[in-house]
Formats: sequence, C-alpha cells, structure tokens
Amino acid sequence: MEIKILGGGCAKCHRLEQLAQEAAAELGITAIFTEVKDMTAIMEYDIIGTPALVVNEEVKSSGRIPSKDEILAFLQAA
Amino acid sequence: MDVLSYIVTLLQTGLGSLAAYLAAHVLLCLLPAFFIAGALAALFPKEAVTKYLGRGASKWVSYPASALGGFVLAVCSCTIMPLFASIYKKGAGLGPAITFLFVGPAINILAISFTGVQIGMDIAMARLFLSLIFGVTIGLLMAWIFRKDDAEHDAETNHSKAFAQEAKVPGRVWAIFGLLLGVLIAGTLQIGLLTKSYFTFTFADSWAPGFQAWLDRLVPPNAALGIEGVSAHGVLLISLLFMIAFAAWKGLNKVDEAFTGWTVAALGLITLTLVVASFKVEAVPTGLQVGLTGKLFAEIILMGLVWWVARTQYEIYEIQEWMWEMWRFVKQIIPLLLVGVFVAGMARVLIPATWIQTIAGSNTVWANLVGVLFGVFMYFPTLVEVPIAQTFLSLGMARGPLLAYLLADPELSLQSILITNSVIGKKKTATYVALVTVFSTLAGLIFGWVIR
Repeated sequence: MEIKILGGGCAKCHRLEQLAQEAAAELGITAIFTEVKDMTAIMEYDIIGTPALVVNEEVKSSGRIPSKDEILAFLQAA
Repeated sequence: MDVLSYIVTLLQTGLGSLAAYLAAHVLLCLLPAFFIAGALAALFPKEAVTKYLGRGASKWVSYPASALGGFVLAVCSCTIMPLFASIYKKGAGLGPAITFLFVGPAINILAISFTGVQIGMDIAMARLFLSLIFGVTIGLLMAWIFRKDDAEHDAETNHSKAFAQEAKVPGRVWAIFGLLLGVLIAGTLQIGLLTKSYFTFTFADSWAPGFQAWLDRLVPPNAALGIEGVSAHGVLLISLLFMIAFAAWKGLNKVDEAFTGWTVAALGLITLTLVVASFKVEAVPTGLQVGLTGKLFAEIILMGLVWWVARTQYEIYEIQEWMWEMWRFVKQIIPLLLVGVFVAGMARVLIPATWIQTIAGSNTVWANLVGVLFGVFMYFPTLVEVPIAQTFLSLGMARGPLLAYLLADPELSLQSILITNSVIGKKKTATYVALVTVFSTLAGLIFGWVIR
C-alpha cells in the first residue's frame, strides 16, 4: 500500500502523517509513506487544499485532517 | 545621557510596550480572535465555499465567493497557497484565484481585530473594506490582462471533482461563530453601554497607591512615546497569562489525542482571564476602585453560552480539533509577537522622529509608496506589523502611508512571491506585485485624503 501525504510540511501535515501511521500500524498494514511537498507535484492531484491523504494514488480527503476512524475506514477499503 | 541609563531607558520602553500589549483591552481582543481563527480552521466546512469556485461558476458568484473564502478559509498561510493553486488550475481560474490570494492575508480576523484595538477602528475598517474591493478589482484586472492565457488554459480541460463537492454550514457552526464574535465585540467596542461601571466598590487597601507608584517607577509611563505604564490590574492579568501558558502547554499540546483535566484548566483560566479583564480597576488615593462594567455582564453571558453550545451541540472530537488549531496559531504567532512588540517599543527610542516625519509625515504619493515598499521588503511575522505600525504612528507617520504599509505588508513576502511564481509564472507574478503596489499606494492616498 502506498500512502502519500500532500502538504508543505506544516504542523497539520505532520499530524495527518502521524495519524495515518498509527492507523496503518493498528490494521497491521505495511505501507510506504511519502510526503509530497512540491506545489507542482501536489497540484497533479484533484484536491481543494492541503493537507491531503492519498492512498494507492486515490485522493481520500483534502483540506482537513480526517479522524482516526475515517483513516482506518480509508485504509481498510483500499 | 550616559550609556547605562540609555540602555535602561531602552529596556524600560520595550517592557512598557510589552506591558501595554498584555493589557486588558488587548486580551479581550486577541483571546477571542484566536478562538475564532481556530474555529474557522477546524469547524468551518471548506466545501461550503469552494462549491462556488468551480470552473463553470459565473463571475458574479466566483469573485464574491473568493473574497469570502479569503476571509473564512485562509487563516493560515499554509492553507492559502494550495487553495490558490487549486482555484487557478482546477477551479474558477486566474481572476478568482488572485482575489483569494490577495484577500486571504489581508483580512485575517486576528490582524483586523488587533489593528482595530491597537491603532484604531478607522484603519482596521479601511483595511477590511479596501482589501475586499481591491482584491476583487485586482482579480478582475489580472483575468482581463491575461484573458488569452486563461482561455487556452481552460481548453486543457481538467476533469476535476474537487470543486463539485458540496457542503452546508450547520446551524451550530453559525451559532458558535456568532457567539465568539459577540465575545470579541463586547470586549472591545468602545460604547458607553459597555464601558460604563454600573456598580463600583472601593477597597480601602492602603497598598494600592504605593504599589502603583512602584510600578510607575519600574516601567515609567511616557505619554510622548505612547507608553501607558502598568497597573495592578495589568499585573494580575499577566500572572493569569503565565498560568494559562503553563496549563495550556500541558493541556493543549496534544489535545487532539486527549481532552484532559489540564485542557479544562486551561480553558477555565482563559475564561476567567476574560472576566477579570472586563472589570474596570483603578488605583485611587483611597485605595483600589473596582467597577462592574456593562461588558463584564455581556462577556459572562456570552461565554456561558459558548460553553453551553460547545458542550451540547458538538462532538468531543470536534472540540479537540478546534482547540488544537487554536493552540497551533497561538504557538505560531504569540512568541514572535512578544519579541516584535518589545523590539518595536525600543525602536521608538532608537529611531529619530524627524526621519519618519520627513519621509512619511504627510499624505503624499512618495510617502505612501515608501510605506508600501517598506511593507514589501521588510518581512515581519504575522501580527507584528501592528506594533511596528504603532511605533511609526507615534513617531509621526501620517495615517495614509500607515494604511498603505498595513495593506502591503501581509501580501508580499519573499516566500509568498516565490511560491506564487511557481504556480502562475514570472509574468503574472510580476504583474500581480505591480498591481498590489499601485493599489496599496492609491488606497493610502485616498484614505489619508478622506480623513483629513
């Protein structure tokens, strides 16, 4: 599973990454985490804002930090 | 003056500025404003505004929506850039994107309320309305200048679903915003109904005038430099702030993980501080005079309602998010602000008033342009432009050039120009910078002329 966090490296992006890592650990999923910081690369994805969560190249949420439950649901469905 | 007493004067001026900034009327402004900013970031559904910023949206909808979006969505510079890029590439296009880019940093709730309380409501309101008007105008101009580019760019159709997402703002969100805004306004509006003391108690404490005299020796009031000095009330509030800082560090740093007893303590202390700040306290020859003002009653009622709405209408997770965002802004802004205030205070002693008065003492084109250029080239952290502006004001800067500076400063920093360049390219960025410079200068000139 490939999980990308889109964002310029601010506190919200780190928080999202932390939550996503915890969620993956809880589900026993091994995932490759990547932080995308470059604006041009970020704009390749269909989002309204950062931080954004992308799982296996699918945008799951953008412009906010989803709750841990939501992230668990995203990872289970992927 | 020998070197030692000069340094002492410098430090006292810095401290005096700091103390003035930690006074009751500033706390009644900043504390609620941080809560509003946090609520905007955590509780306001972005999609409620972005649904109006899609590719097919009519100009009459997308421009006002961008302007409104700039106010509601752009509390943090890290949110502005990606959203700007999205509106440009996938949404309504260059014009509305530029409007959003301009309005966002200009009318952030913290900056406007802070400007109003420290410098004057006239400048704050001018900052607000002119930013909105100019934001839309600059957006429209850019869209017209680059209309050929925009048409080509439209043709590379981007099948974006991002701006099609819909959301409504729930009633409880309107309610909490209304109440928070009420707390902000009740604490800062200078009308008789609120500022008058309805009941007054005098405590015949003999320590009060002596204590005040000691404080005045430590941090001497200096009307010429605009230093108000510290009062017993101020000392109480500063002590409360230290307690809040301690409780908040323990209770808010990881509030999104757990809502602990420390979190409640921090929030309780903040509420208490706002209540204490609403009293009118004066040291009189007979002792300490304490007045129960209109704003005290208003604040108690409004804050009670905020607690009630938050507890009954919101999930605990939402409150946690809100507190986390609010605390994030505080950590980002307050430390730099305190340093900025201290340094701006010292600058009052260091910079000769004649320099300021010669360059910007009257409302000329040159004075306004200098104000703008200073704002563009000197980077100051968020909110620090206010104490800097206040220092200039006390040294003799005219109000027109002051407004020009306040409009330009948040807009153009090296970092934001670089990122804007990476999104829209050199030609458009240069045009944008030029337009912001011209309009800010013009705004200052007109404002200075109107209030003459």
